[in-house]
Amino acid sequence: MIRAARSRHASLLSADELAALHAAGLRILERVGLELSLAPARLDALCDLGLRREGSRLRFPSALVEEACARAPRGYRLCGQEPALDLDLGGERCYLGLDGSATEILDLDSGAPRPSTRADLAAALRIADGLPQIALTWPCVSAGDAPPAQQPLHELEALLTLSRKHAQAMTVVAPEHARAAVAMAALVAGGREALRARPILSSFQCSTSPLAYEGSALEAALVFAEAGVPCGFWSMTIGGGTAPVTVAGNAALVHAEVLAGITILQLLCPGAPTFYGTSATMMELRRGGVCCGGPEDLWLASAGAELAHRAHVPAAIGTFASGAKASGWQAGVENALSGAASLLAGAELWPGAGLLASARIFSLEQLLLDAELFDYLRAFAEGPGVDEERLALEAIEAVGPRGHFLGEAHTLRHMRSVWQPRLLDRTPWDDWLAAGRPEAADRARDEVRRLLAAPAPDPPRFAAELHALVEEEARRLQP
Amino acid sequence: MSETHATLVELAQKLYAGDAPGVLALCKRALGEGLAAREVLDAGLLAGMEVVGRDFKAGELFLPEIIVAARAMHAGIEELRPLLAEAASGAAAPRTAVLGTVKGDLHDIGKKLVGIMLEGAGFRVLDLGHDVAPERFVEAVRVERPQLVGLSALLSTTMPMMRTTIAELERAGLAAGTTILVGGAPVTAAWAKEIGAHGFAPDAVSAVERARELLAARGA
Repeated sequence: MIRAARSRHASLLSADELAALHAAGLRILERVGLELSLAPARLDALCDLGLRREGSRLRFPSALVEEACARAPRGYRLCGQEPALDLDLGGERCYLGLDGSATEILDLDSGAPRPSTRADLAAALRIADGLPQIALTWPCVSAGDAPPAQQPLHELEALLTLSRKHAQAMTVVAPEHARAAVAMAALVAGGREALRARPILSSFQCSTSPLAYEGSALEAALVFAEAGVPCGFWSMTIGGGTAPVTVAGNAALVHAEVLAGITILQLLCPGAPTFYGTSATMMELRRGGVCCGGPEDLWLASAGAELAHRAHVPAAIGTFASGAKASGWQAGVENALSGAASLLAGAELWPGAGLLASARIFSLEQLLLDAELFDYLRAFAEGPGVDEERLALEAIEAVGPRGHFLGEAHTLRHMRSVWQPRLLDRTPWDDWLAAGRPEAADRARDEVRRLLAAPAPDPPRFAAELHALVEEEARRLQP
Repeated sequence: MSETHATLVELAQKLYAGDAPGVLALCKRALGEGLAAREVLDAGLLAGMEVVGRDFKAGELFLPEIIVAARAMHAGIEELRPLLAEAASGAAAPRTAVLGTVKGDLHDIGKKLVGIMLEGAGFRVLDLGHDVAPERFVEAVRVERPQLVGLSALLSTTMPMMRTTIAELERAGLAAGTTILVGGAPVTAAWAKEIGAHGFAPDAVSAVERARELLAARGA
């Protein structure tokens, strides 16, 4: 079961502003171009298709970019391991996913960060699988106890076996890993054609800002695309560091980088499903870290989603992932506003839930808090429902002045659709005092413990076979 | 104590403003006015940098302003260096830092910032770039004999390569003769200690401070 939010699209950018941002992206692609560390044969092939090359710098004629991007499908399905878990990226729905990939986790008992392991990823996935607000999985924490070259495969194994929801292999960024990932997903899906028909796996590749892609990332994208696995392109610019310090310049740079990836994919694999990803943020100007939260980020998220839709592809917009170190007021403020921006911009995919400290540290408590926040926004996005039944004129007439609505049939008919929190506190003051003044994070921690105490579900039927495949692929990667 | 020479006051201001051409011109003017290189350095450049550091710590200056000030400082120091070396017969020979992002990791903006800041602090910086194999670090340390080695990694998957690189430096007998500083987003002080680095810095500005502290402690 998955709960999506209705897209409440309300453009915050004017048509002129959007047109200017799009034009700037195209101009960057045409005049500056990107550095792509691809093999010469691949670069030649791209030039034959219309890109202009000078050394390893490729420039993108605007008409070619527009034409190539038009080949990408606007909407398609990201499939779960059962149809009830499918995601429709057609623009009507917003989905929350896990975020990733943190290298540390907040220890449930000590509250201190420590390096994450496969067991931590498994715990997170078990909880995420049970949360209807989480629509797709990412390796939200690194399998830090696996050998580095094998980590992406162990992480994907966890995604595929511990949840039947759609898996996005965010850490698979090299062609050899992509080939192994496709083999793994095909095993789970019931063959390569079954995977193509119902992609239970998707992926994305990140630019190296400013204006570069690693050749291995682009080759990985092509491996996925050829297998029918949707592959997006993602820009994670840092305004003031790897991008202009202004929101407009940053958004234009993101646009150029993402469109470059989509153009290359569509030139080599026309019609391959793709998406436009960004989690652009600002540099923290005093110490040089990243902000992950702030009014500029809200505009960067809005611009990213609007520009994705202008390019007629789904938008994956970095949402939540507060810069706060703890699940307190700052995380609440930043994540609530971040979610509102993604909702109003109509971003289809929201990665996502569970990260703190500018996406460095994963917290199981924060995962539950983010899921609750998403549910709050989802209920908001449903709208007030102004119709005859819900205007309740009959009930108002029946009750009349000085009466009450408690026992009205109308109240009983509709009260179960009033949104109910699980973690926000609405208890009476004395109950709160008696409980030791718990914060939302304290309630979340209790809930995490309760969820993890439940018996682990049986492994899926393919688990042993998939594990054998991972072992085999791992041996091949690191003989 | 005599009042600071007007040219040096202006030099300190240009440094604070991050005006590299202005700093260069004023260094030349000050030398032309007969001031000693050491005085230009101390009462001009270092005096200006002290205010930069103070205002940065107070949160009044932003990192980009520190970067341009460090670049201007570097321009000034390069102008003065031959004269300083003459005056002190080698005492002002620059300390060398070898920097690189470890093998398998392609991120190098943070490391470039560290390089700029170290140059601003008077270091000669040899930046090996990104995706630097352990043997390239070993070779560079063997040849350059740097006082400082800086290893950077941004990915959790490449952090273990820091350990490998330090182990290779140790095996070549080069680790003890230098100071190894590590940094990068996922790197922590605990990790630095675990892999045998001498120090850790969370950002470019503290990298320079940490380097100075460590080198002072070793008397290097």
